[in-house]
Amino acid sequence: MTSLSEYFHTDWEAMTTNDWIGTILTVVIFIAMVVAYFQVFRPKNKDRLESQRYVLFEEDNKDSGEKNGGT
Amino acid sequence: METGLEQKYNFDVVRWFTVMAVVYLVVGAAVGVYIAAELAWPFLNFDIPYLTFGRLRPLHTNAVIFAFGGCALMATAFYTVQRTCGVRLWSDKLAWFVFFGWNLIIVSAVITLPLGLTEAKEYAELEWPIDILIAIVWLAFSFNFIMTLAIRKTSHIYVSNWFYLGMMVMITYLHVVNSLSIPVGLFKSYSLFSGTQDAMIQWWWGHNAVGFYLTAGFLGMMYYFVPKQANRPVYSYRLSVIHFWALMFGYVWLGAHHLQYTALPDWTGSLGAAVSIAMIIPSWGGAVNGMMTLSGAWDKLRTDYVLRFLIVALAFYAMSTFEGPVMSLKTVNALSHYTDWTVGHVHSGALGWVAGVAIGSIYHLMTRLWHTEMFSEKLVNFHFWTLTIGTVVYIVAMWVSGIMQGLMWRAFDEYGNLAYTFVETVDAMHPYYAMRTVGGGIFLFGAIIMLFNVLMTVSKSVSSGSLQKARLATA
Repeated sequence: MTSLSEYFHTDWEAMTTNDWIGTILTVVIFIAMVVAYFQVFRPKNKDRLESQRYVLFEEDNKDSGEKNGGT
Repeated sequence: METGLEQKYNFDVVRWFTVMAVVYLVVGAAVGVYIAAELAWPFLNFDIPYLTFGRLRPLHTNAVIFAFGGCALMATAFYTVQRTCGVRLWSDKLAWFVFFGWNLIIVSAVITLPLGLTEAKEYAELEWPIDILIAIVWLAFSFNFIMTLAIRKTSHIYVSNWFYLGMMVMITYLHVVNSLSIPVGLFKSYSLFSGTQDAMIQWWWGHNAVGFYLTAGFLGMMYYFVPKQANRPVYSYRLSVIHFWALMFGYVWLGAHHLQYTALPDWTGSLGAAVSIAMIIPSWGGAVNGMMTLSGAWDKLRTDYVLRFLIVALAFYAMSTFEGPVMSLKTVNALSHYTDWTVGHVHSGALGWVAGVAIGSIYHLMTRLWHTEMFSEKLVNFHFWTLTIGTVVYIVAMWVSGIMQGLMWRAFDEYGNLAYTFVETVDAMHPYYAMRTVGGGIFLFGAIIMLFNVLMTVSKSVSSGSLQKARLATA
């Protein structure tokens, strides 16, 4: 047995329910993080996401006019 | 000045949270300066148990984190969710319940902590009946926020709301699990966990109180108030999304780095340190995102005092989110752990980042909530310099003291004996403890100036009738 395989050796039989929940959650979170990075940096999504930068400055428009009972 | 907002939104509860935040900033900082002075000149406890460091220290941390920080978070969360969603808070009654409930918790802390009634868990000292009240009020705060998002008039939920939401979900989870205890009386309980598990749960909470309450929540503030004050959109919205998700996924792993070289399994500390280092990337991404919002308009810093608070706070955020991961590495931790370096690190985050961004946001809110200019712009500028200088004096004192302390503790002579006794290290730290008190005192002086300025602005608004006019005005 090489030292590398010893290092990565896992006693699967000894895994408890808690161990499995932790392991699965870790892998799922890692995949979700990769998906998040992919979606955010996908060129196709750039304009859609960056257009939200201006949301804060649209609130002034929302606050006046018909919606606000004004003219 | 914008009109019609007073009729559309619930700003009354925001106003009360804002003023109380400033009051608690002064109280919390005053207790902090007093206990810092006690460490330099121990006679100041006057042999009165209620004034001893051990009892006042949790009062200081609770006052600044939960009283000042909590009121600032609740004021800004209730304000920004209304403005970004274009709707009034889902329930005014629930908002007032949160205001009175949160202040009742603070009063309970002020009474019980000096009496020595504590669970002895750091940043979670309050006894079980108060813990239950915290859970109820926090859930009411979160529920009102979530329901306001649910009835929003906009299609998109702006990123600041995501940060507040992340904080609410995670703090509920963390507070409930860490506070699980077995009551043996009205004011005494024992943790449900024991030994190493208790330590692990405690620091899972301890670090995530920093990560989700003092970081995510205040980043929510940053993503709203920096662009609004600078009158420019945030530098990159995509970076803010990555910042959010990386923070949410990453922070929960870090707690174990507080327990290096303890009974905790070695790998947990290593994992905590590895993820801590990885967290530099999103943290710096967020800090750069905030600062670069000023790209092309840096001259605003010359004249806009409120913006100075916000941008300097981001510089402290970048500094402390680099320093923390470095300190979590085992080699560095061997020197830094249990020393004043940790205290310095915490305060660069607490005074520079948390207080800086909250104070900047409060100044921004003051003119909009009271429909008048600040009583004195010069005092705002003066406060900026007291905050910056006070914080730098404080953290430099603790860095020097902490590194010296760590080096003295592990110095050996040629025979393998310790080179210094513990008392010698305490004696060597004395000048730096005095210097820390001076730094804290400068910070406190600025906070008192702020309270004066805020109260005078409120008085000015009342006497000129500007708030009354805004309440009666229609758009």
